[in-house]
Amino acid sequence: MKKSMPQRIGLGVIGVFAALLFGFPTYWLFTTSLKTPGQVLSPEYDLLPSSATFANFTSALTKPGFFTFLSNSLIVTLGAVLCALVAGVLAAVPLARMRFRGRKGFLLLVLVAQLAPVEALFIPMYLLMRDAGLLNTLPSLLLVYFATTLPFTVWMLYGFVNGIPYDLEEAAMIDGCSRAGAFRRVTLPLLGPGLVTTSVFSFITAWNEFLFALVFMRDQSKQTLPVWLSSFRTAFSVDWGGVMAASVVYAIPALVFFLIVQRKLVSGMTAGAVKG
Amino acid sequence: MKPWLKLAAGAAAITLATAGCAGSGGTDPGAAASSAPKGDGTLTVWLMTGSAPTTLTDALNKEFEDAHQGVKVKYEIQQWNGIQQKLTTALSGGDAPDVIEVGNTQTPFFASSSVLSDLSGSVNDLNGAQWLAGLKASGEFEGKTYGVPFYAANREVIYRKDMFEQAGITTPPASRAEWLDAITKLKAKFGSDPDFQALYLPGQYWYSLLSFIWDEGGDIAKADGKSFKATLDSPGAKAGLEFYKQLVEASGTKAPKDNDEANPQQAGIYGGGKAAMFIGTPGEVATAAKTDPSITAKTGAFAIPSKTAGQSAPVFLGGSNLVIPLNSKDQALAKDYLKLLSGAKYQSQLAKAGYVPGTSTDVSGLDADPLSKVMAAASKNGRAVPTSPRWGDVESGQNPLKDMLTAYLTGKKTLDQATSDANAALDKLIGG
Amino acid sequence: MPAGATPPASPRVSSPSPRKRLRIGERTVPYLLILPALVSILVLLGWPTLQLLGISLRKLDLRELVSGQMVWVGFDNYTTTLTDPQFWEITVRTLVFTTAIVVATLLVSLFLALLMRHLGPVIRIILQVTLVLAWATPVIATTTVFQWMFDQQYGILNKTLDRLGFHGFIGYSWFSSGTSTLTVIGLLILWQAVPFVTFTLYAGLLGAPKEHYEAAGIDGANPWQAFWAVSWPAIRPIMTMVTFLSVLWDFKVFAQVWAIRQGGPDGESTTLPIYLYLKGVAGSHFGTSAAVATLMLLVLILLTARYVQLLVRTKEGDLS
Repeated sequence: MKKSMPQRIGLGVIGVFAALLFGFPTYWLFTTSLKTPGQVLSPEYDLLPSSATFANFTSALTKPGFFTFLSNSLIVTLGAVLCALVAGVLAAVPLARMRFRGRKGFLLLVLVAQLAPVEALFIPMYLLMRDAGLLNTLPSLLLVYFATTLPFTVWMLYGFVNGIPYDLEEAAMIDGCSRAGAFRRVTLPLLGPGLVTTSVFSFITAWNEFLFALVFMRDQSKQTLPVWLSSFRTAFSVDWGGVMAASVVYAIPALVFFLIVQRKLVSGMTAGAVKG
Repeated sequence: MKPWLKLAAGAAAITLATAGCAGSGGTDPGAAASSAPKGDGTLTVWLMTGSAPTTLTDALNKEFEDAHQGVKVKYEIQQWNGIQQKLTTALSGGDAPDVIEVGNTQTPFFASSSVLSDLSGSVNDLNGAQWLAGLKASGEFEGKTYGVPFYAANREVIYRKDMFEQAGITTPPASRAEWLDAITKLKAKFGSDPDFQALYLPGQYWYSLLSFIWDEGGDIAKADGKSFKATLDSPGAKAGLEFYKQLVEASGTKAPKDNDEANPQQAGIYGGGKAAMFIGTPGEVATAAKTDPSITAKTGAFAIPSKTAGQSAPVFLGGSNLVIPLNSKDQALAKDYLKLLSGAKYQSQLAKAGYVPGTSTDVSGLDADPLSKVMAAASKNGRAVPTSPRWGDVESGQNPLKDMLTAYLTGKKTLDQATSDANAALDKLIGG
Repeated sequence: MPAGATPPASPRVSSPSPRKRLRIGERTVPYLLILPALVSILVLLGWPTLQLLGISLRKLDLRELVSGQMVWVGFDNYTTTLTDPQFWEITVRTLVFTTAIVVATLLVSLFLALLMRHLGPVIRIILQVTLVLAWATPVIATTTVFQWMFDQQYGILNKTLDRLGFHGFIGYSWFSSGTSTLTVIGLLILWQAVPFVTFTLYAGLLGAPKEHYEAAGIDGANPWQAFWAVSWPAIRPIMTMVTFLSVLWDFKVFAQVWAIRQGGPDGESTTLPIYLYLKGVAGSHFGTSAAVATLMLLVLILLTARYVQLLVRTKEGDLS
């Protein structure tokens, strides 16, 4: 579709405006992380910061254990995302492409599993992990995050696989591909955008979880970043500058993860176009 | 029925039948104690973040380990966020920590749940005669002692000495009248600056309200046998609330009426240099100094004035107790640890760190710092919130005192309406 | 990765019709494929949920949790909750609140997804990055930042409105009533909910073959017509899906509502998850909290039953 110049400019302006609107709270968080406690909320009109201090970042990053927590978080989160994606794709394909007894029941289960009140499950989950002897180990968290994101992942991927015309796979099979081969060469690349949105979602859900991490991990050396983030609060005060600086640092892995996978968003698309 | 469905239904039936047993929270404490070797050589101690300084705990743990051959202290710092859930699960397991710090307003809840060891027999070993009265009550339940006072802090009026001097105030206010008078003088001197506020006082600062209510001879609730009855509609409580409003109006504070002292952080505002006073703990000045390092030298403190000249108003004691969980496997060792900590040596170190010590009346360690000295003197008149096991619901949940303050200060409700609504709400939470 | 784990199937060149009778080995293929997901869901979610039902019939306070006592109370936890007039008021409020956020989320996201489809790469990526940041920022930070932005005296919003000439906003309190508080909370939730829905819809739009747009363009269809003819069919299934998911999430959202005003003032912004927390978790009354959670689950099932039914029926049909 060709667009005229004024149209393009108009769209661009709307796009920039939307970006400003959505970016503002993040921007505000960022500028706050550069402020001293007295500047956080001050009578001055400070839409643009007049001065900046990196003291908050220094104090946040030199807080003991940051890198341990970071690596714990990465292990648990990436592990859960990967497991959910593998199990999700495996389940989504037969759901969308095959007909078998119990398919409807499984579909229903996946749907209903998403209604589960995960926060209220913390006592039963705790007991489950305790009986399994997994308390205070990273796999217990990995399992919880895997479980909480799995139904969603299956469901989303099922939708995406369904959206890819079966004719394409058929055509490949006529060209001599095995069923698995046809799936790998045709459907999987087209599934790119779907995998990206689902994995970003799972990543962020697991990355932000606090309660289970706090309760399951007794040893400090096994805590994750959200728990670390809340350690800026003591009985009598909260180091808000530190919290904001830490939050900025904390959002970076999620952003990096997105930037890595977002290329897939485009390449998956073009790959689909070429094959299609 | 389809085979898989049959299977699922069977599994569900079994689950339902056993849900109860499996869902039980843990093993019988006796069994847990016998199955694990007694005294496995580790004493697990959980203190809260921002409590005793590391210099103290390092020395304490070392001395304890030296005195107990083969015992290792596993010292861990816990956070306030989610502490209730963390403690709940930790106490239920067979491997509960041996010594835990619990906030004083939370202690009655744990003490009343039969999950803590009865320390009544050890009170004398733990310097019981010198326990801080305001904390002591929170660790007691039905005549038994479960919590040992650890430390406390209380609020005072923190002020700018230089501004007071410029406004011609020579001695810190020692009565409400003098306090209001000081506010008038400060406003006369600095009022031309639109951002100036003589006193920073946020609308929902209910700890300050407690002082004013107690000073009027009122209280927020009264013990009635085993239960509690809210008394926010009593004349004393109403008078305290009225004085709060008087302060807010006289001081021209720009603090939000719909938020508390933590949002925005009052010490940050004070650090901005446009406020002459705020009500806070000495520790908050350090936060202010992050904005303006020179402010520490310009800061002084006086006790929250009473309506009776020459006295100071009662203050709320915020702090912690130490408890031993019933599920701890090393009760004797844990008691030894408490004994060491409650001794004069470490209590004086606590005082030097700026806390009112829990098991020692010797507060001379606080005298070195003028702000702490004022706090220590005022702490003698320290009081606690009602020792209801359900008080935690008030503080962690929807605090009726905060709603009452906002409604009255903004004029949304009259004094009578605000107090009677809050009274009903408080009764619903802790009454009966 | 996933395809590699698929057991090799013989090429079925003639007809891929699933109705064709398959050999035993092939018949087990779908079961093997769904096995990991099935087992995980049953063990890690199903089992705890059943336990939750069991707990809802018990008195399980801290005392019972520690001592391991079993105190069965029948339906007491349910009757207490159901006879609490507050519960019903809060349920209605939660439903209205959820509906408002879901509708707003969908409209904003659809708009943004369509916008992205037509933006140049630079502005599109900028917009996408702001969305990801909104999404990835930890809740503890976003709730605080929102409180500061809306602060009565020092908030940037009131200060800006004042500068723009709306002097009535000096000292305006955004948290004086339940409705106003819920609006601010709603904006916060919306801000963090929109990114996911937008990306999902955008991915769906990319799935719509470009040629179709070109065909529509050649036919002289205006953008509105092109949207209904090409984009809408491509994203309609995804739209139903994200509606369903948004309902689930927005109904269950706790952290944001709690952090802003703990459900105040005077409990006027209390939603069901807050109610659950206050009545159950805060005082370690896990029996009550399990009962409230079960009731919430029932409300959710009622809310989505028709959708689930519809979905399963049509999806079951689409293969035959």
